[in-house]
Amino acid sequence: MKAGLEVHQQLATHKLFCPCPSELSEQVEGTVRRRLRATGGELKALDAAAAFESSLGWTFSYEVVPTSCLVDLDEEPPHPINLEALDVALTVAELLHATPIDEILVMRKLVVDGSNTAGFQRTALVAVDGWVEVQGKRVSIETICLEEDAARKVAEAGGEVKYRLDRLGIPLVEVATGPDLGSPEQIRDVAQAIGALLRATRRVRRGIGTIREDVNLSVEGGTRVEIKGVQELRLLPKYAEEEVARQEMLLRTKEELHRRHAKPPAGSVVDVSDLLRESGHGPVGTALKKGGVVLAVELPGFQGLLGGSTGGGPRMGRELADHARAVGVRGILHSDELPSEGIDSAQVAAVRTRLSLGPDDAFALVAHASSVTANRALEQVARRAAAAHVGVPPETRDPLPDGSSRYSRPLPGRDRMYPETDVPPVRLTSDRQERIRAQLPERPEQTVRRLQEQHALPADVADRLLREGEADRFEALVRRGHAPALVIRLLTHDLPAFAAAPRATPVPEPSDDLLDGLLRALADGRFAKEGVSAVLEGVLVRGRSIDEAAGSAGLVPISPPELASIVRAVLDRNERLLRERGRAALSPLMGDVMKEVRGRVDGKEVARVLERALDDRLEKLGGTP
Amino acid sequence: MGEPTVDPRKKLASLPVGSEVEITPPDGRTWHGILVPSSEFSGENVVVLKLASGYNVGLAVTERDVLTVISKPKRSRVSPSVSPTGSSGQSATAPATPWVALLTTGGTIASRVDYHTGGVRPVRDEREILDSFPALDTEGPVRVVPVFERFSEDIVPADWVLLAEKVGESFREGARGVVVAHGTDTMGYTASALSFMVRHPPGPVVLVGAQRSPDRPSSDGFTNLPAAIHLARAGDLAEVVVVMHENPSDGRLAIHRGTRVRKMHSSRRDAFETRNAPPLGTIDGTHIELAADARRPTGEPLELHTHLDERAALVTYFPGLSPARLRGSVRNLRGFVLAGTGLGHVSHTHLKGLRRLSSDGVVVAMTTQCLEGETDPYVYSTGRELLRAGVVYLDDLLPETAYVKMLWALGQTDDPERVKSLLRTDQVGEFVSRRRMERRA
Repeated sequence: MKAGLEVHQQLATHKLFCPCPSELSEQVEGTVRRRLRATGGELKALDAAAAFESSLGWTFSYEVVPTSCLVDLDEEPPHPINLEALDVALTVAELLHATPIDEILVMRKLVVDGSNTAGFQRTALVAVDGWVEVQGKRVSIETICLEEDAARKVAEAGGEVKYRLDRLGIPLVEVATGPDLGSPEQIRDVAQAIGALLRATRRVRRGIGTIREDVNLSVEGGTRVEIKGVQELRLLPKYAEEEVARQEMLLRTKEELHRRHAKPPAGSVVDVSDLLRESGHGPVGTALKKGGVVLAVELPGFQGLLGGSTGGGPRMGRELADHARAVGVRGILHSDELPSEGIDSAQVAAVRTRLSLGPDDAFALVAHASSVTANRALEQVARRAAAAHVGVPPETRDPLPDGSSRYSRPLPGRDRMYPETDVPPVRLTSDRQERIRAQLPERPEQTVRRLQEQHALPADVADRLLREGEADRFEALVRRGHAPALVIRLLTHDLPAFAAAPRATPVPEPSDDLLDGLLRALADGRFAKEGVSAVLEGVLVRGRSIDEAAGSAGLVPISPPELASIVRAVLDRNERLLRERGRAALSPLMGDVMKEVRGRVDGKEVARVLERALDDRLEKLGGTP
Repeated sequence: MGEPTVDPRKKLASLPVGSEVEITPPDGRTWHGILVPSSEFSGENVVVLKLASGYNVGLAVTERDVLTVISKPKRSRVSPSVSPTGSSGQSATAPATPWVALLTTGGTIASRVDYHTGGVRPVRDEREILDSFPALDTEGPVRVVPVFERFSEDIVPADWVLLAEKVGESFREGARGVVVAHGTDTMGYTASALSFMVRHPPGPVVLVGAQRSPDRPSSDGFTNLPAAIHLARAGDLAEVVVVMHENPSDGRLAIHRGTRVRKMHSSRRDAFETRNAPPLGTIDGTHIELAADARRPTGEPLELHTHLDERAALVTYFPGLSPARLRGSVRNLRGFVLAGTGLGHVSHTHLKGLRRLSSDGVVVAMTTQCLEGETDPYVYSTGRELLRAGVVYLDDLLPETAYVKMLWALGQTDDPERVKSLLRTDQVGEFVSRRRMERRA
């Protein structure tokens, strides 16, 4: 495989073309509805991706929030580019040994999926030709761009997509590597290294979704496919592996079609509603009941190549279904998964006869209330099936939480770029370059060394703090007088666990002051370290103070006599266990006690008290070993 | 190609846009791309290349750079001006189905981005407009009539006359309605002018614009123009109106009476507002709603009263405006409109001068710079004295409408008293006598 990576990092400055703060908001003040239409660029060609999105005819609604203004709503021209953000991008370019552009020109990149109110994303190429060294190997950096983030999608239903304007316009630095990456693990390592470099500027936003990666990948004989917007770094290798398997499946399919001398599908759609009127298949029945249709299209040479309904791994049938879904149907039925529930072999045979299929040929069905939609869906299916003859079609794919990906749209090309005439160009002066060089931040590898030396940290711990972007907070909290070990536990254990918990609405990043207070309360014994998560929940989700949160979570510290009496009660309840297992009962009993006292007393203290009480009790019971 | 002997900067300046070139500075990195127009604000000696990625970059070229020309464009790839093959002037074979005339004047709705100047430029021919709005004639024929190509800030009263005549011509040739695609900056003035000049139109005269140019996917023109065409074709309406967004959403649009509408925001889609009254109606897709007082066809014959006298001005009063300054700015005029303060006041130091102008036959009309509400000369002594000095109070007329009406009234008669009387008389529903509370939420 051959892969390249694009890392997109939000900056902690105000927005790129207006003075709004770069902050998300839950306070919706109103909604605006819009439509978008693909238009040609300065070379007068319509981009394939833009034309596709425009053809879907969606309506978009935008939630107005306090962190948006008329610029975000496309109701006011953009202001000149945020020079502070440009400085960060130039700093990143310098850290990556790249060459900045003499005069930086803002472009409009046509995006009519609604994620930008204007119908385009503003983006500027800032520097080219850099490199980064990762585990002894030099990886080329092709471009460094500064662009505005898109609006945040919050819902999608009935031909309308709802976005929120808070994220729109937040500056993003985009770092794109060359196609140098040869393994899924290398993709992850390079992403981490670039992430660390970006954070070294200390001007980046933190939290979920503030850094996103696109993976461009092709296998030998395949084509470049882009998996866009991966938020979870740890899943990067998985996406790469799945994409390799998918492209290999597509290449095998192509070979087999070739071997069978199959013709590309003609794409003629046939109505088979009458043949399936008696079908017990749910979606078919529903569509027909609503006065809709079941349409079929022949897939010459595809028999047995689409993949059955069970079993993992990439399947051609899913490729076809994804393309159908992109125009608004729930899915398709294809002959490799039939007969199945509700559609019997006689009905399958009838469809095959109507389509005059040969033994090698397959078919796909779409049932929908609207014949227009069903038709469009099958046109997409036929088009995708035709593309199977060339192997891997270039496309953009959405990452899914399970590590696989799904077709989203054609791969955009250069035809979708045209100049943003509302924003004047920025000529890079030598003064600016010199100032940036003079103020370069510490490089990540220097930071790791310094952390090791200053705080006597083992190399892997220092490295982990840096990779996870916690080096700055670690140092800030240690400077406030907290023990490094406690701080490390908080930053690398408690906080990630808290952040990973599933929640309906995003939780704000805890401030350094909050963490300081938390560590102080811990050190004072106002609650035990097992209670950190509950306290964070109380403070960040329910808006309580640290002590209130600890109190309402039942984390009021336990006195030694109280602990002793709880231990005694647990031992009383478990006499049989004691008799049977003797000292080996310690760990189940420990669990019982912790259930009652978690967060109110240190686990070590519990273990000490319990162990002593257990020994006493065993002695009393007659000293079984 | 090899080493050029001439300064690469000179050579670049002579190359046509669309040429494929390589530029190599002494430090090594070779830039490969297509020459595109540089920005108006680009630095000196900056050449703009479009790279294979689609990004444009500005390169500061020095005499030590090496330039290699890889290919020159076969034909101009940038904004080819399509020659009109004459879809206008089809009037000889008048279509049987009701048709709508679309008069184009330039302005954002009929503009494209000019990648050289960085601004937008008017479309050069009607093909370009149907190119931007492909589904414009699905309901019936639309006859495109290019009248002039101007940004609205460049429009002068003589252009109003030309437009009024084209509107009249279109109706006489059988148009069901007329749409005027217009720049938004002075669309309110043009709407007023057409209102006074085109009397008893048999159908709607709809002025329409866009706050975002149609080369942007988000252009409001994509909603506004089709709605304007539909209103002109199907609206039970016989007056001059402006159709623009009612709110920031692409959906319902407001229909404003031409004499009551004003651009109230420099950039928002819903910049146009009817002052002192609710809009005349709304249009949402093909659904039209009109107020009871919207003017319906009466069957009276169309009349054009296009004569204007431009010896008039609009003067906004401000603290410190001296009588000498005012006198200077209204010299040789037959009339002028004051946008006074509050209920229609100017400093009492102007009383003597205004009295003299008035007795010399200069028509002085008073409006309020508050824009909302009515003038009233009776509340304060200043008003009463201004009235006695011969100033004509124009109730709640917008200052801009009053100015246009002044040009028109002066064009109708030489008699100052007749002019005053015309000004005070409601011509086309420009006065609102009843102002309700809910107007200003």
